[in-house]
Amino acid sequence: MRFMVIVKASKDSEAGVMPSTELLTAMGKFNEEMAAAGLMEAGEGLHPTSRGARVKYSGGQSSVSRGPFDLNGDLVAGFWLIKTKSLEEAIDWMKRAPFDGGEEIEIRQVFSPEDFGEALTPELRENEARLRAQAAKK
Amino acid sequence: MRFMMLMIPLGYETAPPTVQLDPERMAAMMRYNEALKEAGVLITLDGLHPPSMGARVSFAGGKPVVTDGPFAESKEVLGGYWMIEVNSRDEAIAWATKCPASSNEIIEIRQVQEMEDFSPELQRVAAGFTELQGKGKR
Repeated sequence: MRFMVIVKASKDSEAGVMPSTELLTAMGKFNEEMAAAGLMEAGEGLHPTSRGARVKYSGGQSSVSRGPFDLNGDLVAGFWLIKTKSLEEAIDWMKRAPFDGGEEIEIRQVFSPEDFGEALTPELRENEARLRAQAAKK
Repeated sequence: MRFMMLMIPLGYETAPPTVQLDPERMAAMMRYNEALKEAGVLITLDGLHPPSMGARVSFAGGKPVVTDGPFAESKEVLGGYWMIEVNSRDEAIAWATKCPASSNEIIEIRQVQEMEDFSPELQRVAAGFTELQGKGKR
């Protein structure tokens, strides 16, 4: 099973404050442990929402607003993609993440083709597989 | 420059684990995904199961506290994402406006941090991180 671990934005991350050397060192060690266990697929940090934008849709029309956006507890600062056998295993790993204060992370299972059932027709399934294979080659 | 297009479907925060996707909407999204791929901008993409199947870990007291989903206080949650490679935020916005999204959906565009965005000292600490990624790759 694949999980996306979403790291929530904080006042600091939204202000563009980079992590301390200590935190980055501890994170590096944690990442190495996950990589050694073969479950680390990706991990990325995002620039603050001040450098981002939002698009809303209505009746075929879209409207764009530029960041920054309100820090409402739902904004994202970064993520990992990990592969574990269960949600419990993902939780157990993430309990060991070297966060030291107000941080919060959210663990969400990634859809796999099997989850879509009949909605994913054989043709769509084939397209999806081809798309992934080609995107991964980049 | 890499950007995440974060899909935020309003209402997904309370969706049941058995949420069903509409085949027609999926087919439209697949056509959009194909267009991203054909333009050479798509790096990767994923969909996420509803938060009712997920968990949160908070570190407020220095100790991890686990909460099972759904999360009553969320107003917005992720439904999925695309990672794309484009030349500017405007180009990322232009791609997002082409998405066949419905009026209950928002796409947030966020620039991904690259190694060169870190100070030389932090780059030294984070060296090797890029190689760790993909160790759990499917």
